[in-house]
Amino acid sequence: MPSRKDDLNKTLVALTSSAFLLPAYQSAMADAPPEFTEIGMRYSKYKEDDLSAKKTINGVRSERMDIDVAQFHLLAPVSDDWSVALDVGWEDMSGASPWFVGEIRDGDGDPGVIMSGASIEDTRTEVSVTTRYYFDSGTAGVNYTYSDEDDYESKSISLDGSLNSEDGLTTYSASLSASDDDITPTQGTYPTNTLSATKDIRSAWIGVSRIISKRALVRFGLSYTYRDGYLTDPYKYKDNRPDERKEWTASAGYRHFFAEQNAALHVDYRYFDDDWDIASQTLDVAWIQNVGQDITVAPFIRYYTQDRAKFFSVVINDDNDSDYFSDDYRLSSFGAFSYGLRVNYEIGNWSINADAERYQTDESWGLYSGEEAPALVDTWRYGVGLSYAFR
Amino acid sequence: MVRIEHNFKAMGGPCCLRLDADDDAVAGVAIAAAVAEVARLEKKYSRYLDESLTSQINRAAGAGIPVPIDQETSALLSYANTVWQESDGLFDLTSGVLRLAWDFKSGRCPDQLEIDALLPLVGWDLVQREQGNVYLPRAGMELDFGGCVKEYAADSAAIQLRRHGVTSALVDLAGDMVALGTPQGNASGVSGWPIGIRHPVEKDKALAGVHLPEGGLASSGDYERCLHIDGKRYGHILHPRTGWPVQGLIAVSVLAEQCLVAGSSATIAMLKPAGEALDWLDNLGLPWLAIDADLNCHGSLAAS
Repeated sequence: MPSRKDDLNKTLVALTSSAFLLPAYQSAMADAPPEFTEIGMRYSKYKEDDLSAKKTINGVRSERMDIDVAQFHLLAPVSDDWSVALDVGWEDMSGASPWFVGEIRDGDGDPGVIMSGASIEDTRTEVSVTTRYYFDSGTAGVNYTYSDEDDYESKSISLDGSLNSEDGLTTYSASLSASDDDITPTQGTYPTNTLSATKDIRSAWIGVSRIISKRALVRFGLSYTYRDGYLTDPYKYKDNRPDERKEWTASAGYRHFFAEQNAALHVDYRYFDDDWDIASQTLDVAWIQNVGQDITVAPFIRYYTQDRAKFFSVVINDDNDSDYFSDDYRLSSFGAFSYGLRVNYEIGNWSINADAERYQTDESWGLYSGEEAPALVDTWRYGVGLSYAFR
Repeated sequence: MVRIEHNFKAMGGPCCLRLDADDDAVAGVAIAAAVAEVARLEKKYSRYLDESLTSQINRAAGAGIPVPIDQETSALLSYANTVWQESDGLFDLTSGVLRLAWDFKSGRCPDQLEIDALLPLVGWDLVQREQGNVYLPRAGMELDFGGCVKEYAADSAAIQLRRHGVTSALVDLAGDMVALGTPQGNASGVSGWPIGIRHPVEKDKALAGVHLPEGGLASSGDYERCLHIDGKRYGHILHPRTGWPVQGLIAVSVLAEQCLVAGSSATIAMLKPAGEALDWLDNLGLPWLAIDADLNCHGSLAAS
């Protein structure tokens, strides 16, 4: 077999990178509006595993949340350099969620969860419109999203733009978004923490991606999010959170196409930190395998770990006198694995996709130490979708 | 899985697409797209076609009006500039005009006067390239994309095949080749498409057998057209500053990810004096094969 010098020759690097600028070699990264109108429908189901009898305070197994989601998607070219997308989603939620964690469970003395009772019923409707303009060296987009459910209304707007470098190998991206949310908790058996409140979210993101060889791409991103307003969970009995939260993330990703296998490897890492002392890390690995010309099979695995919020306790004692406190398992320290499979099949103008994902959590899987929140949840998510392109 | 072979003529030579596909119809669409891509590039860059962009640029030489060019052409000229720099000025898209002095069928060497008359028209550094247009400042100057477009077309044809779902194919544009994947039913266990590199003198004999992995193979040689006068060999590879044939290697083949890079590398090696060319190829870091004037083989592919 031909041998290759280990150190890359300067001339070879110059020739190869200069050749890269030719459009033929850049087909994968071209920013172009969609050529055809596409419509799609998708149904997915999210289901939380029951909370085992060992974790509840009364020793009775409890059902948790169940969400059915239906989505409609439309993407259409308006002209050679302009596209519009419309997304509408409906969610139907039902089940029970943790109300608070009791100090002593009957029998073994471990903390136990008191559930809200199978009382939650809500539906959410979301409408999102995006328009995007494509110019010679990049794209610019605007999105408006309106979401409404019985106890929550959200309006958000975002602007994003990308710019390709002169040599075409580097893409710089940035986005800004803002949302104004109104919270009006449904009044039922238990008193809520507020009757009416608001919350604002402001977020900024910058990123850069660079093609480093014919088959590899790296990308980096930084983001900052500022939340201001009512950040407490209105339904949780022992919950009072600061009315401000500042979050930072740094992310890096790598994509490599393996021609021989006709497959791509995606590896992404994300570091998150905020002023509630919740640090988290996420590692995503996916293998996107083309099978023949029409089928794509993509197994993926994700590892997530987070540290607890500074005001989190497994049990909030009645004599607690801190300003801020919460026993929400989502603010505890834990580790989680999710793994699953996405499959896509193209037949003519139709595309059928299906996916399934299992998510499992455990305090001992985390990199940060802390006490295990008894309400940590394992979930299933699966979905099927169908889309059609008017070619 | 079927093997489909499509022969056609383009860019002045015999071309062939070989592909292994599941489905005749898919293969047919892919072949049509690849052939159309080669035809598009020929129509755009051939200096033999009056309507080509190359002819428009050449006709406007010295006329004072820059010719607008698209992004692809601008990138191709930038690439040619890189090759010019990396070859210390040996690879020069404007040197084609020297062929006017050299008629390899006539059996005679030109007068120095004839060559001297053409030399002022050669000089890549004279070409004015600005955002979106190009201008040749002296009447009679010519750009000739012959030194890179065929290789670029081979890469582009392969990209078209892949875009249409072909995962295993060999594109051969008169010796400039690009391989995708590995042929089906390949029992040898060696990945890549088997290719014979032709012997420069004994036409029917393969000089070396190579399994071309994903990527390109390009060859440059002056055994096809040359003059023998008084026992001295004059090849058709002309030095851009002297106007005389380079006394160098007689054939070079290079493997690279992009056929375009393989082709430029082979051409640069052909333009250098033989000894210097062998060192340069050795340092380049790509698999290569070269034949010197005494028909000795050199390079990492020679041993395989």
